[in-house]
Amino acid sequence: MNQFHSVIPFVFLILACLSNLFGQASEQKINESELLSLLQSLAVDDDEVRANVITSLAKSGDPQLERFFELYRQGSVYNWPDESGSVRIVVNEETVMDDDFNEFAPLFEPVSGKPFLVDGKQAKPDLLDLEDISPGRKIRTLVNSSKFLLRLFSKDQEVRSSGVKKCGDPPFLPEAVPFLKEIIDDPSVDAKIRWLSKESISLIRFSGKLEGGNSLTDRINALQELGKLKSLRANARIKNFQNELNESYASGRITAGVKRKLDGEITRVTKSLESHKDSVDLAGNLFRGFSYGSVLILMALGLAITFGLMGVINMAHGELMMIGAYVTYEVQIYFGHTPDTPIDSYYFAALPLAFLVSALVGLVMEGVVVRHLYNRPLESLLATWGVGLLLIQLVRIRYGDNIGVNSPTWARGGYEIAQDIVLPYARLYLIGLCVAAVSFVYFILRRTRQGMLIRATMQNRDMARSLGVRTRNVDRFTFALGSGIAGVAGYGWTIIGGVTPDMGQTNFIVDSFLVVVTGGVGELAGVLFSGLGIGVLSKAIEPMEFGDFVVGPVWGKVLLLVFIVAFIQFRPSGLFAPKGRLADKK
Amino acid sequence: MKPVAQQLVESKRSLVLLAILGFFILPFLYSIDVLSIGQINMIGRYMTFAILALGLDLLWGYVGILSLCQCTFFCLGAYAMGMHLAHHGGPEGIIDANGWKLPACLFVVYPYDVGESSGDALVPFFWKPFWNLPLTILLGLLIPVVCSFVLGYFVFRSRVRGVYFAILSQAIAVAGWLVFCRNDVKLCGTNGLTRFDVIAPAESLTTFHPEDAKDQWIASHDGDMGQDLNSDGKLDQLDYSMAEVGFSLSEPNVQLSLYLLTLTCLFGSFFLCKWIVNSRLGRVLIAIRDDESTLNFFGYKPHQYKIFAFCIAAALAGLAGMLYIPQMKIITPSNMEAVRSVLVVVWVAVGGRGTLRGAILGALTVNLLYNYLTSEHDYGLFSWSPDYWPIFLGIAFVLVVLYLPNGLIEVVDRVKARLGNNSNFNPIEKV
Repeated sequence: MNQFHSVIPFVFLILACLSNLFGQASEQKINESELLSLLQSLAVDDDEVRANVITSLAKSGDPQLERFFELYRQGSVYNWPDESGSVRIVVNEETVMDDDFNEFAPLFEPVSGKPFLVDGKQAKPDLLDLEDISPGRKIRTLVNSSKFLLRLFSKDQEVRSSGVKKCGDPPFLPEAVPFLKEIIDDPSVDAKIRWLSKESISLIRFSGKLEGGNSLTDRINALQELGKLKSLRANARIKNFQNELNESYASGRITAGVKRKLDGEITRVTKSLESHKDSVDLAGNLFRGFSYGSVLILMALGLAITFGLMGVINMAHGELMMIGAYVTYEVQIYFGHTPDTPIDSYYFAALPLAFLVSALVGLVMEGVVVRHLYNRPLESLLATWGVGLLLIQLVRIRYGDNIGVNSPTWARGGYEIAQDIVLPYARLYLIGLCVAAVSFVYFILRRTRQGMLIRATMQNRDMARSLGVRTRNVDRFTFALGSGIAGVAGYGWTIIGGVTPDMGQTNFIVDSFLVVVTGGVGELAGVLFSGLGIGVLSKAIEPMEFGDFVVGPVWGKVLLLVFIVAFIQFRPSGLFAPKGRLADKK
Repeated sequence: MKPVAQQLVESKRSLVLLAILGFFILPFLYSIDVLSIGQINMIGRYMTFAILALGLDLLWGYVGILSLCQCTFFCLGAYAMGMHLAHHGGPEGIIDANGWKLPACLFVVYPYDVGESSGDALVPFFWKPFWNLPLTILLGLLIPVVCSFVLGYFVFRSRVRGVYFAILSQAIAVAGWLVFCRNDVKLCGTNGLTRFDVIAPAESLTTFHPEDAKDQWIASHDGDMGQDLNSDGKLDQLDYSMAEVGFSLSEPNVQLSLYLLTLTCLFGSFFLCKWIVNSRLGRVLIAIRDDESTLNFFGYKPHQYKIFAFCIAAALAGLAGMLYIPQMKIITPSNMEAVRSVLVVVWVAVGGRGTLRGAILGALTVNLLYNYLTSEHDYGLFSWSPDYWPIFLGIAFVLVVLYLPNGLIEVVDRVKARLGNNSNFNPIEKV
C-alpha cells in the first residue's frame, strides 16, 4: 500500500506538467466563472455553438452538471434576460398560478439547483418573460447522451470507467466515439480506461450503430479488433450479429460465399474469446475458492480452539462472531463513518475491539455456564445453544433486525491482476486477516509460555495441575482466546456480508463445525487444510453444469455435504486424526 | 434400573391421568364452551410435537444419539400429507395436459422454464402417488424411514458418534432446508404447501389417478352427466370439488376428531417406545448409550441397533408431521430450519431425557409456555413482551441443563414421592 502512496503524488506531478505543456487537458479543470460563461453561450441561437458548449461542459466531468443536462434535455432551461438585456440562464420546472390565473415561473439556479434569488427572494417572473433555449433537432442526440458523456470525464475513476463501458453497451452511444478517441489519445488517462475506450469504440463499430451506419467490412474489422482485445463483452454481441447475418442471408442481401467467410471469421474470434473466458473463469473460481476457504478458516479457527482443544461444543460460537460484527458496527457509528463521509480508520480500530469484546463475552460465558460442563460435551452443546439464543435476542432487542456496516472505501473495487481477473480488495483483506489470525494463534500456542501451559493442560489436565499449573486460569484464557478469534471472524465478515442478529445460526455455525470435524479435532493444520479444501471444492462444484442443470450454491452445498459424509466413511476422525491414546477420548 | 413391571406401574398413574384429561376433560370443556375449538386444535398440534419428542427421546435418552435433524423427518411426513391435501384442495389451480389437477399452491409458484406459459404447468411425477390416502400414509412413514436408514447406514457404520453425529445431522437439516426452500424442486418453495380443504375424500381412498376418480364419480351419478362434463369430456375444476365427499378441515367436529386421533397416536407411540425400551432390544440400546465399546466386544453390532432406533425415531417424526399438517393447514420450509430441530432437543431436555413421560411432559410444557409467553401480558409493575420469550427460553434452558439434568420429570417424581411418602424413591440414574 505504502508504495502506491508515494507513487500517486508523483504521477499527479507529471500530469500537471503535461497539462501545462499541451494545454489540452486544462479543459478538464473548469472553474465556476468559466462554467457560468459557458452556460451563457447556450443562449446563442446557433446549434453549432450549443453543441460546442455541451461538449465543453461534458468534458468538465463535473457531477453537478448531470442534473443540469437532464433539465436541459427536458426543456426546463430558459434564458431570462435582465433589464440591460444580458443573459441569465435559469431553470424552471413547474409554474404556479395566482388567484387571477396569471402563470408565474419560480426560478432556480441552473447548476446548484438552489432558488434563483433576486433581492433576496426567489424570482418568479411571468412565464412569457422567459426565453426558450431548448436544443434544436440537429443536436438533440448529443443532448440526450450528454448525461452519459459527462461520466466519461468524471474525476471519480469508477464512475469514469463505468461511463466508458456504458457507451459500448446497448443502446450504443455513437455520439461518444469522438470523446472516446480523445481519451485513447490522452496519455495522462489511466491505462485501463483507455483500454475500455478502445473496447467500447470497437463494440459500437461492431454493432453497426455508428452514425450513418457502417459497412459490413468495418464491422468485421471491429470484430477482429475485439478478438485481439480479448473483450469478454463482445461475446454477448456476437450472437446477435450471427442472427443478423442469417437474416440478411435469408433475405438475399448477402451471398453464400460472403456468409461463409464471415462465419469463419466469427468462429475464429469466438474460439479465442472462449479460451480467454475459460482461463478467466478458472482463475476466478480458484481465487473465490481460496477466499471462501480463508473465510471458513477464520470462522473455524476459534472453534478449533474451544472445540478442538477444550472439547466444548460451543453452539454460541456463531453468536460470538455476531458480537464481533456488532462491535464493528458500534465503532463505525462512534467514528461517524458513512458512505458519504468515509473515515476508513474505523475499520482498523474495530479489529482489536472486536477481539476484546468477544473475548470478554466468552470469559463470562465460561465462568457462568461452560465450566460446569467440561466433561459433558453433549450438554455443553445444549447449554451454549441456550446462551446463543439469549445473545441473539438481546442484540435483536437493542439493534433491531438489520443494520448496515459500511465497508471502508478502500474495500470497494479490486486489483486487476490480469485482464478480466479482478481480485476484490475486500477478499484480499480477508485472506490477509486469515493469515494473520492463524499466525497469531500459532504463535500463542507454540511460542509463548501461556501456549505451552494450554497444551499441557489440554493433554493431561491432572498431570498439569499436579505440576502447579493453574488449570482454571488456563481454561479461562483458552476459552476467551477462542471467543476473541470468533469475534475477529465476525469483524472480517462485515466487509463482505450482511449483519443480522441470527447471522451466527444461519451462516456460520454449521459450516465452521463441519470444517473442524473434517479437519480433525485438535489440530490447527487440520482446520487449515479442510477450510481451504472445502472452500476450493465448493467453488469448483458450484459452476458445474450437467446438461441444463447448473449446480449453483444450494445444490453445491448439498453435494458438498454428501462428499463430506462419504469422506467421513474413510477418515472417521478427519484429515488429521489424533493418534494413540488421545484418539480414545470422546 | 428397576424391574419392568414396577416401571409400568409407576408410570401408569400419570398416564391414566393424561388419558382422562385428553380424552374426556378437554372435549368436555370444549362442549361447554370453556375451550374454543382453536385451543383444542392447538393442543392437538402440541401433541404431534410430543410424538416427535418421543422419537427423539428414544434416540437420545436411550441410545445416546443426539440427532439435530428430527424436524427434517417431521417435515418429510408433513410434506407427504401436505401434497395429498393439496391434491384434493380447493377449486383453484388448473387441469394440466395429463388430466391431473395442479394444486392451487403449486400453480401460484410453479417454476416455469423459459418460454412456458401457465397452461404448460404439469403435476410433477413425485406428486402423483400422494393422490391416494392410504398410499400417502404409507409413504409419509416410509420416506423418513428410508432417508434415516440411508443416512444412518453410512454414518453409524463408520462409527461417527456423539457430538460428531450431532453436528453432521445439523448440517443435513440445513441442507434439507435449503433444498426445500428452492422453488425449482416444485414443492412450492418458501411459500410452502397450503390451500387445503378436505381430508379423506372418498375418491382418495380407493383411486390412484384423477381419471379413476372421474369414472367412479360418473358411475355414481348414473351417467346423468349432461351439465357436468366439459366439451372435451373432462370434469372441470369446479366439478372436482363437487366430487369430494370428504371432511372439511374447517369443521369443528373434524378438528376435534383430528385432535382425538392425534391423542390416540400419541398413546400408540408411547406404548411402542415403552415396549421397545423394556424389551431385550431396549437393553441393548441402553447398553450402547452407556458403553458402546464394551458392547462391541461382546459381539454385538451396535450400528444395526442404532440404525433401527434412528429409523423408529424418523418414523415417529413422520407420523407427527402427518398429523400436524391437517391441523396447522400449512407447511413451509421454515419448519425444518436447524433451530426447530434443536428446539425438539430442548423439549426433551426440559421434560426429562431418558424417560418417555418426560419427553411428552417437556413438549407440552414448553409449547404451552411458548403459547402463553409469546403474547403481551401486563403484570402491573412489569409488562411482558413477546420479545422476551427467547431470552426466557435461553435462560431456562441453561438452568435446566446446569441444575436439573434429569428434567422436570424429576421435580414431578420428587413431589410425588413426598406426597406419597414413598420411602424407597430414588431418582433416575444419571446419564
